[in-house]
Amino acid sequence: MSQPKIQKILIVNQSAPYSSGSAKESLDLALAAGTFEQDVSILFTGDACYQLLTAQDPKEVDSKNLNQMLKVLPIYGVEKLFIDEQSLLDRNIKHIDSDLRITKISASETRELYQNASTVFRF
Amino acid sequence: MVFSILVLGAPFNSQSAYSAFRFVKAALESEHTIYRVFFYQDGIHNSSAIATPPQDEFDLYQGWQNLQTQHSLDFVTCIAAAARRGLLNESEAKRHNKDNSNMAKEFDLSGLGQLVEATALSDQVITFGQ
Repeated sequence: MSQPKIQKILIVNQSAPYSSGSAKESLDLALAAGTFEQDVSILFTGDACYQLLTAQDPKEVDSKNLNQMLKVLPIYGVEKLFIDEQSLLDRNIKHIDSDLRITKISASETRELYQNASTVFRF
Repeated sequence: MVFSILVLGAPFNSQSAYSAFRFVKAALESEHTIYRVFFYQDGIHNSSAIATPPQDEFDLYQGWQNLQTQHSLDFVTCIAAAARRGLLNESEAKRHNKDNSNMAKEFDLSGLGQLVEATALSDQVITFGQ
């Protein structure tokens, strides 16, 4: 495969961690895009906030810990992680995993993120 | 314009797969180019060789297969998404020691890199969601 030119890819993640495969499959796409050295941003919004909680014990539902899996993103060159602040407020979530180095952003900054992206994928 | 299409919905379960099919047809009729159609998440079910809708209903599976043959389109089904949902071509069935394969020959199994490449080489990527 030829080396593709660098695209600004925005992956919008709006799914809860274990209720569907979407959280895992959006992470897989982010890792693939990182492998091909694309300029990847991930926006967590809506129920995707729950992916960022530290106290997860998904062994109870025979799943792998998604929060831990998100921590490999920087190894793949994916370091631009954002969370929609309003989504956290709506769910009364006060603490998200600080290891992930996620930037909280406002609605207007979210709009900017969309505007600057060349391609948006929503999960 | 050069389009690539991402299909995330299964036939019958959601309208998105049918909408994607109509979009691809319309784009080709308007002399646009379809660089690749990538099937991911539940969209992988579009590449089933054995799905059999009732005879008085539109057969979207056959529709995709005919479209690929007529226009020599590049249809790629995500190999990981397909394996975990029970869709294998002959070589994958052998590799996983399964007795049967069930994927239409018009589709190639490959990785997400093919979607990333399509994104870079197309003017627009249109997603048809779950």
